[in-house]
Amino acid sequence: MIFTQIFDMLDAGIVILDKELHVFKWNRWMATHSNIPPEKIIGESLFTFYPDLNVPWFLRNCKSVFTFGNFAFLSYKLHKYCFPFKSHNSLGYNFTHMQQNCTVGPLRNDDSNIDYIYINVQDVTEVASYEKKLIEMNTRDGLTDIYNRRFFDTRLEEEFVRHKRYDRPMSMIMLDIDFFKDTNDTHGHQAGDFILVSLTKLLSGRLRKTDIFCRYGGEEFCCILPETTIDSARSLANDLLHSVSSNTFVFNDTPIKITISLGVSVLSESTDSAETLLKETDDALYQAKKEGRNKVIVAGDT
Amino acid sequence: MESKAGEIISQEERDILQELMNIAFGNATADLAQVIDIYVQLSVPDIQVVAINKLPDYLKDAINSDSKSSIVEQKFWGSFQGSGLLVFPSGSGMDLLALLHEKESEEEPSNKVPMDLIEKGGLLEISNILIGACIGKFSELLGTFVTYSPPQVFHGNSDECESFINGFNPSQTAIVMKTVFDFQDKNVSGFLLILTGYESLDWLRKALHDFLGSYE
Repeated sequence: MIFTQIFDMLDAGIVILDKELHVFKWNRWMATHSNIPPEKIIGESLFTFYPDLNVPWFLRNCKSVFTFGNFAFLSYKLHKYCFPFKSHNSLGYNFTHMQQNCTVGPLRNDDSNIDYIYINVQDVTEVASYEKKLIEMNTRDGLTDIYNRRFFDTRLEEEFVRHKRYDRPMSMIMLDIDFFKDTNDTHGHQAGDFILVSLTKLLSGRLRKTDIFCRYGGEEFCCILPETTIDSARSLANDLLHSVSSNTFVFNDTPIKITISLGVSVLSESTDSAETLLKETDDALYQAKKEGRNKVIVAGDT
Repeated sequence: MESKAGEIISQEERDILQELMNIAFGNATADLAQVIDIYVQLSVPDIQVVAINKLPDYLKDAINSDSKSSIVEQKFWGSFQGSGLLVFPSGSGMDLLALLHEKESEEEPSNKVPMDLIEKGGLLEISNILIGACIGKFSELLGTFVTYSPPQVFHGNSDECESFINGFNPSQTAIVMKTVFDFQDKNVSGFLLILTGYESLDWLRKALHDFLGSYE
């Protein structure tokens, strides 16, 4: 009697499924969030109502629980949710769906056989929001809102390993604002900050979503171009060069013109580490500076 | 390795334990093929009795042979309690994903789950099943059922690994059961350690004798 009450009083979802994955029990929390009353879903296949769960990972985990009597942990980090329920606004983030941690466990009969499994659904939207906020604070540059150096270093290492492993092309562009100190001295640091922000907006608009663009330091930026050959990287670099030199930045009614220098390199067979790639790109940038600035230099071009 | 079999478990008990694990892992292999569609070869388990104050060294030896290895740890509890520990060579996560036939998402990377999370997720999922299969089958043979905590993954050279190893109570003794597993034809192998401490020793000894008794 009391146990039956707990089933409906809990502030968490509980679903009980039989071996065919038909719904055997559906508690009040589930009914409330799904807008499906128990009488409508009990006896029906879970997949009639939630066809997106009819996928290998979900089936595999249920099968494992039936077979081994273990537990399956379906984390929001990987799956976001099992049941697409409406989410509430948390910390200013609006997730399209409630983020859920789900646990699947065995229920045994008197002969210790597993006839049913349960799914416990926990709303972890708030946790997911905190995590998102922390990650943002940890990976973004405060001024320009593009990625920071810390994030870049981690991703560079990962992308390097991945591209090496699958033998895929990957390029890198490093760029620096020419005579940025003069801009700061002439127009003030506020204007300098404005240039940094405007420039990143301008450049971001010309990059793909897959490119990893970061503020590397001061007025220096770096961009990892996954799945990109050196020819594409070269033409992108030239495009960036011209889009900056042809643009007029207007700060407090004052027009400011700037140029950038760019170094470009590509992952090759002889590139033994992520640092090597970074160094080659940096050397190319240095060369571009040396050769008069407002220029693209591709490593290996002589 | 440290062996005080006489004090902790007798040679006979150790033999039964080994035999039981062998049967359990045989059952696990058959069912794993059904659940994950992969044939997992499990070697004959090696059973060691390690004084807990020696356990950190034992684990460091076992794990740090490849400092970049990935370790998945899962606690289980009940009459039989302890930890399951899977040690994979580095980069296995991706191979495991391929085993599970999970393809990379076609979505834009900014919208999808980052690759390292997917890799971690694959490791955790398969480890959870593998540990659950081995411990589940073993517990079943001894007539008990255990509950599991969510598995955790960390790298061999990380702070988490260090604090995990140092987290063992130094005044106790552990029974360590080690098995090499191999995903056949898939080139992924590693080893499984089942650590069980003093708490379940009395139960284990009794369960072993009961098991033997049922055949006498």
